[in-house]
Amino acid sequence: MGAAAPEGAGGGPVISATGVVRRFGGVPVLDGVDLEVRRGELLGIVGPGGGGKTVLLKVLAGLLRPDGGEVVIDGASLAGLETDGRARLWERFGFLFQNYALFDFMTVGENVAFPLEQRRPRAPEDEIRARVATRLSEVDLPGTEALFPNELSGGMKKRVAMARATIADAEFLFYDDPTAGLDPVTSSKIFGLIARLHLPRGVSVVVSHDVDRMRAICRRFVMIDRGRVRFDGDLDAVHASDDEMVRTFFDESGLAL
Amino acid sequence: MGLLIAFRDALGLFFATWRWTFRGSLFRQRKVFLRQLHDIGNRSVLFITVTLGVLGVISVFQVLLQVERILPEFSVVGPAFIQTMVREFAPTITGLMIATRVGSGIAAELGSMVVTEQVDALRLCNADPVDYLVAPRFWACVLHTVLLTVYGGVVGVCCGAVVAHEVWEIPWTSFFSLRLVELSDAASGLMKATAYGMAIPIAAAQAGLETTGGSEGVGIATTRAVVNASFAVVVLDFLLSGLSFLLWFQGR
Repeated sequence: MGAAAPEGAGGGPVISATGVVRRFGGVPVLDGVDLEVRRGELLGIVGPGGGGKTVLLKVLAGLLRPDGGEVVIDGASLAGLETDGRARLWERFGFLFQNYALFDFMTVGENVAFPLEQRRPRAPEDEIRARVATRLSEVDLPGTEALFPNELSGGMKKRVAMARATIADAEFLFYDDPTAGLDPVTSSKIFGLIARLHLPRGVSVVVSHDVDRMRAICRRFVMIDRGRVRFDGDLDAVHASDDEMVRTFFDESGLAL
Repeated sequence: MGLLIAFRDALGLFFATWRWTFRGSLFRQRKVFLRQLHDIGNRSVLFITVTLGVLGVISVFQVLLQVERILPEFSVVGPAFIQTMVREFAPTITGLMIATRVGSGIAAELGSMVVTEQVDALRLCNADPVDYLVAPRFWACVLHTVLLTVYGGVVGVCCGAVVAHEVWEIPWTSFFSLRLVELSDAASGLMKATAYGMAIPIAAAQAGLETTGGSEGVGIATTRAVVNASFAVVVLDFLLSGLSFLLWFQGR
C-alpha cells in the first residue's frame, strides 16, 4: 500500500460533536451524531452513500450550522463564534471537497496558492510559487500551474484540490472522498500523502469508500448510516461487532475479517 | 413575509458590498473586475443596439403615424422623443435588458459555484464571497449600465431619426434638436441607470448565493434572479420617476 499508519492519538478530544442534528427540507440527514476526535488522530469515516458523511464533515468544519446539538473545536463552541472567530478557526483548516471545488476563474497555480496567500498575505511570491510547484509534483501534476480547471480531467482536478487543501499545512485536514475517480496507483499515492501530511498535533479526517486503502493509514473508523453513528472503533472492534451490517460493510469494502 | 425577508437580505448584501468596496475589494479583485467589465459590457453591446434601435424605429414610426392624423407639424416630435428617451426609455429598457442578460448570468455563475462547493472553499480559505464574487460584478454592472444607457439612448434616437427623415422627410436638424432636453432630464436618466445598475447585480447575486440542490437549483435561482431584477427595475422606475417629478419636472 505504500503508506504506513501514523502513530496513534495521544491527546484529548479536540473536535467534539454532541447530539448533532442537521435537516434539509425537514428531512434529518444527521440525526443525533455524537463523535469525538482526539488530537493526533487520523480518523476514517465510512458508510453507505447518502448516509450523511459529507454533511457531517461540513458541520464539523463549521460550513453548515447544525439544527440541533453542538460542535466544539479546541474548546470553542462553533455556535458561539462570531465572524472573526470563525475566520481564525478556518485558518487552521484544510478541506478537500467532494466536487473538487476548484475556482474556475483561477489557474491551477492560483488555486493551489490561494490558501497560502490568504493566510500569509506578505509571503514572498517566489516562496509561494516554489511551494505550489513542490505540492503539485507530489500529486503528480508538475508544470500544470498555468492550466485552468476546465482543461483538466476529473482525476487531475481531484489532485489539484488535494494540493490546495494541504498546501498551508493546516492543523485540521478534512478529506471528502479524496480518491474518487482516481486510478489505483494514484489513489495509493494520495493516501500516502494524507498520512505523510498528517501533523502529530493535528487532526485528519478522511471520508472514503476506499476502505482497503484507509486501513493502511487509519486506526479508528466511524461508520455513519442514516444520519447516525453505527460503529466507532478499530478493526478489532469490527471483528467483535455483533452488528451484521457493520461486519458485512467492512468485509465487502475490502477489509478481510 | 417572504418578500420582506428577501428585501432585508438584499439590503444586507448591498451594504456588505459597499463595505468590501471601501476595504479595497476592487483593487484586490481587479482581474475579476476587468473580466466582468468585458462580460457585462462588451457582450451586451449588440443586445442593447438591436433592442434600443428597434424601439427607436417603432416608437418614432408609431408616434409620427398618430401625429400625422392630428397635426400637420412634426417639429416637436424629435425633441419630445429625445426627451422621453433620455428620461425614460434609455435607462429603463437598458435596465430591463441587463436584468435579463446579466442578471441571469450572474445568478447562474454564482449558483453553479455554490453547488460545486466553490463558495464553501472560498469561505474556508477566509475569503468572503461578497469580496471575491459580488463586489467586482456589482461595480462592473453599475459602470456598464450607465455607459450602455448613454449608448442605447444614442442608438435609439439615431434609428428613430432615420425613420423620421426617410419616411416623413423631417429634416435632421429639426429631429435632433435638444430644445426640450434640460440637464435635469439627463440627471433623471442617469440616476435611474445607476440605481438599476446597483439593484440588478444585488438581486442576481442574492439569488445565486442562495442556490440549493444541483442543476435544478441553479435553474430556479436563474429564473428568480431575472424576475427579481426586472421587478426591481420596474419598482425603481416608478419611485425615481416620482422623485424626479418632485425634484425637477414639476411645472415644466
